[in-house]
Amino acid sequence: MNKVKQKDLILYSGLIILGLAAPYLFSAFKVQLTYLCVLIVLAMTWNLQGGEMGYNTFGNILFYGLGMYLTASVQVGMFFPLAEWTESGGEKTFVHTTAQYFQGIGVGLLVSAIVPAIVAGAIGYAILGLRGHYFAICTLGLGIAAGEIAGGIEIIGAGQGFTTPPFPAEIVDTEARGKFFYFLSFALLIGTFVFVKYIYGSRFRLILNAIRDNEDKAEAMGIQTMKYKIVGWMCSAFFCGLAGGIMGGLIGYIDSTDVAFDGREMGVFMVLMAILGGKGTLWGPVIGATLFHFFKEGLWTLILGWQYVALGVLIVVIVVYFPEGLMGWLREKYPERFGEVIDDKDRKAQVELK
Amino acid sequence: MNKIAKLFVTFISAITLALVSFTSSSFAKVEGEYIVLGSAISLTGKYSSNGVHTQNGYNMAVDRINKMGGVEVQGKKYKFEIIYYDDESNPKRAAQLAERLIKQDGVHYMLGPYSSGLTKAIAPVTEKYKIPMVEANGASRSLFTKGYKYLFAVLSPANQYLEVAIDLAVEKNGGKGVRIAQAFEQDAFSQDVRLGILDAAKRTGSEIIIDDKLPKELNDMAATLAKVKATKPDVLVVSGHTKGALTAIRQISEMKVDVPMLAMTHCDAAKLSKQHGKKSEYALCASQWHKNLSYKDKFFGGGKKYARDFQKEFGYDPPYQSAESSAALLVFKDAFERANSFDRDAVRDALVDTEMQTFYGNIKFGPGGQNIAKPMILFQVRCKGDDCENRVVAPTKWASDKFYHPIPKWSERS
Repeated sequence: MNKVKQKDLILYSGLIILGLAAPYLFSAFKVQLTYLCVLIVLAMTWNLQGGEMGYNTFGNILFYGLGMYLTASVQVGMFFPLAEWTESGGEKTFVHTTAQYFQGIGVGLLVSAIVPAIVAGAIGYAILGLRGHYFAICTLGLGIAAGEIAGGIEIIGAGQGFTTPPFPAEIVDTEARGKFFYFLSFALLIGTFVFVKYIYGSRFRLILNAIRDNEDKAEAMGIQTMKYKIVGWMCSAFFCGLAGGIMGGLIGYIDSTDVAFDGREMGVFMVLMAILGGKGTLWGPVIGATLFHFFKEGLWTLILGWQYVALGVLIVVIVVYFPEGLMGWLREKYPERFGEVIDDKDRKAQVELK
Repeated sequence: MNKIAKLFVTFISAITLALVSFTSSSFAKVEGEYIVLGSAISLTGKYSSNGVHTQNGYNMAVDRINKMGGVEVQGKKYKFEIIYYDDESNPKRAAQLAERLIKQDGVHYMLGPYSSGLTKAIAPVTEKYKIPMVEANGASRSLFTKGYKYLFAVLSPANQYLEVAIDLAVEKNGGKGVRIAQAFEQDAFSQDVRLGILDAAKRTGSEIIIDDKLPKELNDMAATLAKVKATKPDVLVVSGHTKGALTAIRQISEMKVDVPMLAMTHCDAAKLSKQHGKKSEYALCASQWHKNLSYKDKFFGGGKKYARDFQKEFGYDPPYQSAESSAALLVFKDAFERANSFDRDAVRDALVDTEMQTFYGNIKFGPGGQNIAKPMILFQVRCKGDDCENRVVAPTKWASDKFYHPIPKWSERS
């Protein structure tokens, strides 16, 4: 047992070193690497609902968008009048000093983690009683509604969009901004991973699985399923909000439906990545997101104009050939490598049965 | 578990290898005899038709300039080449692609994307890396108030699009204020057109009786039109890119909405007069350019010749989006030759001093980067039998036809 732990240790420290070195090794790819971290976080948090709890949500984009708007609003609002900023050309008149910029984004991220979690709690209380596709459709509406509402609120720029504070001009190094956002997102990724891994070893995960496998039975066993479902969703919202906040700062421009509450892209991608890698596994979403991102960045420019067709084909291929995702497929092929004990007699018996 | 670990290590080292080999093949700003420009263009998504108009405009100018000797810098002739990416009409993607063009493809000069929203997303990136960007399709006023130093727009800002139309309506009303109904898509460009109308209304003492916001990917505005039918305003203003123009005409004719004046944007990009024929007659449209204007340059001749050549190459009449995109390359060529260097700041300084005439119009950049030398024009769709075309009605200097007002009622139209 100890030996396995040691292997794990090597794996994790290797990954962390790679993560820390990545922006120096692949300096030109910093933005894409930042995207990768955020995508992995989104896939992992989606997996908590979709994979572990069996609640296919399209609503996580709501927390992502909320986090984005909140971070930017706090970052501006702490020092300057927000309405004047968004109305036109705020960043010319009001310039953040270096200290203000980092204080602002710090407090902003804090808010963008807590508020979405609270919102998830409130919404969850109202709609987590729905099950199956009723829940999926309901959450699909959440993201769309939020986009339309945000597009009508003047103080956050409405249809004009919201330009987030530019990186402080006092820092002359043009690489600094890329590094800052990369390390921020990498820290978030590690935080999310540690948290999810902790959940994987806890009773909480078993309860989520029980809810997925048979919610009525779980309830009959005396588990207050509603409570756990809400807490699970709040955890996802916490990290989704942070991811959104970081992305808002990185992109530099928030548009209500295309950047923040981007259900058509991010909202679908997070589901797709988790399923591609294998939902209900720790590493599945990580692998899924990584593969997806490489597929997207590497191939999409080669097939200009046809990339969404290719994406459609990819979805079909995944659903038909890897319904359980890559991890699920590997598990089926090499069960012993996943620590599953296979009784040889049992396997033979099954072969004979076929 | 250890097998998985191995699998992982293999996987990650494979990726590392792939990335390293990728990085080493980085491009340069000027490769051999080519000056490499970068552009993220909407080839898919809601702006795809206008994105293609933009790309066609760029390509047309690149071909023409290259054929006519290219760009001469320090006695050597260079040709233009453009790296395109598809931004999927999404600002997030556009910003990411701008980074990619600059950091990975090593592009040092950018051409703008289509639409104000996407330009707004790219401008902070080009500004950060001090990359000069000449853009032809981001008209939002807010782009020019942010103090950007590397952004140059060959077009007039969005708030000027339909102000003239309100002035015309007031003039026809005997100098008294008019009642305006307006509906705008919720995006940066259309919202700026709206601000222009609000200013004009205040100035002329006009009253805004309907002020609707329309969703993006506009497919239905029946609710607004029902209100228009009930309140009978003097002017109806609609702006929502190509889809907005098509939807408005389709539903106005279906619902037989009578308004004395209908003012819109993007009529020519939507090929209204072709697609809807007589139904679109009398619609008043704001435009950056029209082929009948008398501007000239040595590459494209005049507007009419440009239109003919464009028609020959791409099979349709050039909308102003294509014309202004072509003009962007003329501006770049001019700036490179005056700077006589590939230094980004030298090129940027040369761009600041631009003062030239192109087939598309005069170009001179104001302090915010917008073109201040070219007025907007208005044209009206007029039909002879089933043959409809756009005729310039304002400003009077280039007006080929008289402005027809008011629009006859549907019951009187054949």
